[in-house]
Amino acid sequence: MPAFPTLFPNSIFKINLTTIAMIFLAGLVVVVVLRIGLRRMDMRNPRGLQNILEWAVEFTRTMARDTMPTEGAVNFILPLAFTMLTFLFVSNWLGLISIIALHLHSPSGMWGITAHDLSQSKGEVVLFDSPTANMSMTLGLAVMVWILSHARGLRHPKKWLKHFYSPSPLAVIEEITNPLTHGMRLYGNIFAGEALLTVMVTAPRLLGWIPWTLPLILVWLLYSLFVSTIQAYVFSILMCLYVGNKSFDGPGHH
Amino acid sequence: MFEVGTFIVSIVSFLIVFWIIAKVGFKPLAGIMEKRRVYVTGQLTEAEHNRLESERILAEQKRLLEQTRKEAKEILDAARMRADEQSRNLIRQAEEESARILAEGRQLIQQEREEALNAALQRVAELTVELTTKLLHNYVTAEAHAKMLQEAEEKLGELAC
Repeated sequence: MPAFPTLFPNSIFKINLTTIAMIFLAGLVVVVVLRIGLRRMDMRNPRGLQNILEWAVEFTRTMARDTMPTEGAVNFILPLAFTMLTFLFVSNWLGLISIIALHLHSPSGMWGITAHDLSQSKGEVVLFDSPTANMSMTLGLAVMVWILSHARGLRHPKKWLKHFYSPSPLAVIEEITNPLTHGMRLYGNIFAGEALLTVMVTAPRLLGWIPWTLPLILVWLLYSLFVSTIQAYVFSILMCLYVGNKSFDGPGHH
Repeated sequence: MFEVGTFIVSIVSFLIVFWIIAKVGFKPLAGIMEKRRVYVTGQLTEAEHNRLESERILAEQKRLLEQTRKEAKEILDAARMRADEQSRNLIRQAEEESARILAEGRQLIQQEREEALNAALQRVAELTVELTTKLLHNYVTAEAHAKMLQEAEEKLGELAC
């Protein structure tokens, strides 16, 4: 396990600073790309990046329409779904483009890295990584979606209560498994991709600097980029699905 | 491993990021797409409306043209009928006029002839009387003379009638 710069390292309220910083970095990238794309906004002839962005919005809308019961719910989730899609896409790719790590030989109090962490990570301290390669962060997003879905469900309290036992009381299990798998799926995919890449990159070098696993790295990198893209989509569509399942304002909902 | 601090701060951070992206990036993007959608929908509606309007106007024009044609035909027919009638009237009037003029002429001729005849008879009677007077002057009495004159006048009167 690599070590991370940490706030409050010895308390229960440990905060992974790399993850938090990377969340903001990914957000910044998304905002910058959006602003560049919208720099010369034109209603009549959209150009270049604006086309791509509009395609992304249409894509998100189609995705939400496929999984949600009403147009009202689609309009409700659209900004969040768009943000989630673009943010996760950038987040997942960030760790594949590069992982920056420091080699520390002694525990650093300023970075909040304990000797125990350092011994576990063999001195490696990660400063640049996917925020989604962190279990706490992905579970945080999943729980946020879970809370959001119930908050929306509570707009119709009777139907909300009814849906816990109406088709089958076993559905209550979903209330735990859904957010858990929702978060862990994303974390697992991204973390696995990065972990394997790290292992392969640290393999013995040919001629001093080329890892002998280079072909494997390239194949795995391409596959991980694909998986990262898919996972951003999967997380977003599941979010729409979960929120849509608890949007009881649609017609023909049980 | 799972860290409560990272968990909570991640949610907060993501919400901040979401708020910024939604405000700075998504809102203008969605706004311009909505604007375009409204614009295109408006254009389509307007085009449809215009098409219906033009169809309506075309039908109206056709109807008007048909009506005008019918009216023109009616007017022409009426004019033709009136002209026929008028010409018939004219002919009848002319015939009557000519008949009248003819009758007048005939009457005039008759009258003149009668006048001329009367005048001629008068003259003949006078001449006869004069002649007779001259012939008989020597041996006819005044009585016989008067009697013969009367007789001749009667006969002339019969002739004249």
